[in-house]
Amino acid sequence: MNELMTARSLTTRPVVTLGGDAVAHVKDTVCDASAARITGFTLTGRGLLSGPLKEGLPWSAVYALGHDAVMVRGRRGLVSAAAMTAHQQTVRARVLGARVVTEAGTEVGTVLDVVVEGGTGGRVVGFRVAASRGFAPGPTRHRRRVYVPRGETLEVAGRALVLPGEAVRHVADDLSGFTALVCGVPGVRRGSLP
Amino acid sequence: MLFSEARGLPVTAPGVAGPLGTVTSLGVDAASARVSHVRLRAGRLRRETVLPWDSVLTAGPGAVRVRAPAPLEQAPPRRELLGHRVLTDTGTEQGTVLDAAFDPATGRLLALFTSRGELSPARLLGLGDHALVVRAY
Repeated sequence: MNELMTARSLTTRPVVTLGGDAVAHVKDTVCDASAARITGFTLTGRGLLSGPLKEGLPWSAVYALGHDAVMVRGRRGLVSAAAMTAHQQTVRARVLGARVVTEAGTEVGTVLDVVVEGGTGGRVVGFRVAASRGFAPGPTRHRRRVYVPRGETLEVAGRALVLPGEAVRHVADDLSGFTALVCGVPGVRRGSLP
Repeated sequence: MLFSEARGLPVTAPGVAGPLGTVTSLGVDAASARVSHVRLRAGRLRRETVLPWDSVLTAGPGAVRVRAPAPLEQAPPRRELLGHRVLTDTGTEQGTVLDAAFDPATGRLLALFTSRGELSPARLLGLGDHALVVRAY
């Protein structure tokens, strides 16, 4: 499995062509309506004072999403950002802050970040969630941040993400534990919740 | 011959008294893995001249001898190989280039030495302003 990374960490990652030239920086990630795949990125210019670019980077133009750079074949893959975000919204506008509930109605928490898979797939694997009091008991100041796998079926109802109940039976505390959890490899992870 | 050895060598031409200048850097064409041009400077405050590798008769030891100097009008953008960041095509950084070896007769790159070990020149994809892109495997 490819490396997992959070959508927030993608911001400011350089967009580099296979010729080695940096074209832009990632501003935000765009994902589809059911939060299953990355469909593209919005961009900012490279300079210190350069603002957002009018061009966006569709996922079809991405060669690989890596740890240190987003690789593209060439400059020509960029399309108009307005066309790209017409039907889809950026992660920041759409998913962050959304409530996560299970089908049974258990409140899990609110989305802090989206975990995506690197490489060529562009899958959304899970969410980093500020756990609600009922889901992970504890003092408010040390409210748990947990990684929740997306599961196969996810419904978006308004501003809430509805997960199947078994998806939140196992959650992870950190990204490496979450990688082990998603890959199905035994690793450092939290056991099943009551 | 190493890139670090070539830097600072005097450039001489037949029929010209005295050196034309000293080598400041060697330009690389990453797609064909060859040295493509030589940058030289006649003095500290003088402009750099760019000579194509075709005009080089012999490189080293001790000097670079060139044919009648015919500098390129369209100087390619300066891309220093030494010290440049190495990035695989999967988007992972792999250290920086420390040095590179090339064949002084043909200009072909023989090996690249990076801070993460040696790199075959067959893996080179492109050299740009951000990084030297290499194939991951």
